[in-house]
Amino acid sequence: MRCDTVSFSAVVTPVIPTLGVVIAAVLFTAALLMFSERLPLRSITFRLGSISGLVQTKVMCLGAGTALITAVLIGVGLMVGDYPVPASRALGTALWDRSGEYDFVINHLRFPRLVVAVLSGMCLAASGFIFQSLINNPLVSPDIIGINSGAAVCAVAILAIGGNVSYVPWAAFAGAVLTAGLVYVLSWKRGVEATRIVLVGIGINALLGSVITFIIVRYPIEQVVAAARWQAGTLFGSSWDDVRILAIGLSVLLPLALVFTVRLRTLQLGDEVAVALGSSVEPDRLALLIVGSLLAALATSVIGPIGFVALIVPQAARMLVGTISGGALLFTSLFGGFFLLGADLVAQRLFAPVMLPAGIITAAMGGPYFLFLLARYNSAT
Amino acid sequence: MQLEPETLLPLKGFDLGLSYNGPKIVDGLSIDIPAGEVTAIVGPNGCGKSTLLKALGRILTPDSGIVLLDGEDLQLRPTKAIAREVGLLPQNPQAPEAVTVSDLVRRGRYPHQRLFSQWSKNDEEAVEEAIVVTGLTESANRLVNELSGGQRQRVWIAMVLAQETPIMLLDEPTTHLDLAHQIEILELLKSLSELQGRTVVMVLHDLNLAARYAANLIAMRNGEIRVSGPPWDVVSAANVRNVFGLESLVIDDPVTGSPLCIPLPPAGSQNFE
Repeated sequence: MRCDTVSFSAVVTPVIPTLGVVIAAVLFTAALLMFSERLPLRSITFRLGSISGLVQTKVMCLGAGTALITAVLIGVGLMVGDYPVPASRALGTALWDRSGEYDFVINHLRFPRLVVAVLSGMCLAASGFIFQSLINNPLVSPDIIGINSGAAVCAVAILAIGGNVSYVPWAAFAGAVLTAGLVYVLSWKRGVEATRIVLVGIGINALLGSVITFIIVRYPIEQVVAAARWQAGTLFGSSWDDVRILAIGLSVLLPLALVFTVRLRTLQLGDEVAVALGSSVEPDRLALLIVGSLLAALATSVIGPIGFVALIVPQAARMLVGTISGGALLFTSLFGGFFLLGADLVAQRLFAPVMLPAGIITAAMGGPYFLFLLARYNSAT
Repeated sequence: MQLEPETLLPLKGFDLGLSYNGPKIVDGLSIDIPAGEVTAIVGPNGCGKSTLLKALGRILTPDSGIVLLDGEDLQLRPTKAIAREVGLLPQNPQAPEAVTVSDLVRRGRYPHQRLFSQWSKNDEEAVEEAIVVTGLTESANRLVNELSGGQRQRVWIAMVLAQETPIMLLDEPTTHLDLAHQIEILELLKSLSELQGRTVVMVLHDLNLAARYAANLIAMRNGEIRVSGPPWDVVSAANVRNVFGLESLVIDDPVTGSPLCIPLPPAGSQNFE
């Protein structure tokens, strides 16, 4: 961020194309809401030999719509920036003609960043979906129970002591997984109860927060700047290596999450009903916590602790589709990809040429979102 | 669903010791559930009737003793296999937010589903039948939490029905329901047993409703079975005193012919004299 070289007016004046993106995203969300109200609650059954399933048409339409709009947004993202690329060349350079004058800006700077935004948004939203359904509380997400902080402690420690930057993702991943394990173990008392996970998680989160603060005040300022920036969560400098890590992780974790969604539907009915229906409650819950934590850890290790995506997106998606199902998980995940991509584009272009970390935009949307939840809750009761 | 005679599974408990990691609630209890009939477990609050039901449905692991389903130890069988034979509805189950009736009933198919077989023809038929039998066809697409208490209870019963188990255990299926809805639910359970040959075991608070709808009564007090058998053998003034500590008059129910217990005022009370 080159704050010193940019005049104040540039900082506060939004750039026109960005406004377009913002307005389009808001309109899209509104349209999606209206559209989903009108969709009939119909389901399609598919059967092929012993393979069978049930798909809600509503979820399918919403998923397809989100995927489409995400693709369009990626196209927009390829074009806009300090160095505009004409539409006719942007797609071509990204997809088939990987050379020419725009190659560097498209294929090294923009395209990987856009894909990283989508994939990590998918991870975060899927993780939030699992945690919120498992704990049956819309205010729970991996960042609230300390998984992001766990990642941050390790990453910040490495950055602050001036360690090798390439270790940061691994350290963050390990920190997130260790924290999730710690929360689970500390919540254990003849089984794990949802409220206990939340309380223990909030406690651990506060504890880790103080460790981060300690590291930041303890080490010299030049070294902590990088750490502080990492903590805001940014997609700046995303590479194809990041894409590869996320793609491999998602291709393992998302199918696992899908398989476990069926068990989630049973667990959601309460432990007694779940046992009566033949669930192995504790192993299933542990498996879901592991998959949810790994998804959050994966995204956090690559892009830093971007908050609120895992909190807001599953809730918003739930308002659109209602129940828990594999389709709902996929839609939530896609919606998360769209959301983070949109947030990052806005963060890049809102005060261009100053680029904000995407985490600031997602956090800025968190506040109004809570007010919205509150208003809805008030009008419902 | 029509059960074949050979699917009448005997469910028995031997020498059961039950507790919730604390004082023993049930100690040395043995029980034999008559197959293909409606059995009601009655008794005063805290007598261990719900605890016993939970043990029969392997929600509670016995500290000692053994529950045998079709001659096999419940603890040694895979829980999903048991769920295809024994269904259980706990007291006051809570439906999650934003779940429709058909969605909730579908979840009763969990023990029959496999990884890639999530919605077989059998699943569809069982769910459809459960919804029809419980009279929920009209509200199939409504949200469960928008329904009245009686309808909500029917949704949960439909979920257990969709599980297609020969044995159904229900913990107080009529709590918080008004009299009309209580009758409705009990009629439904009785007809399920009569028409489909299911074994229905329910914990009931109301002795008279239990005597009216169950073929067998099991009366418990202080964690033990005081008396069991057909309603007329169980409901007598002496037994009601023994089990509930209540003086009563037992008469013929003029409608059904089942025993009707009319409580007498406690000794020393002036109210009814």
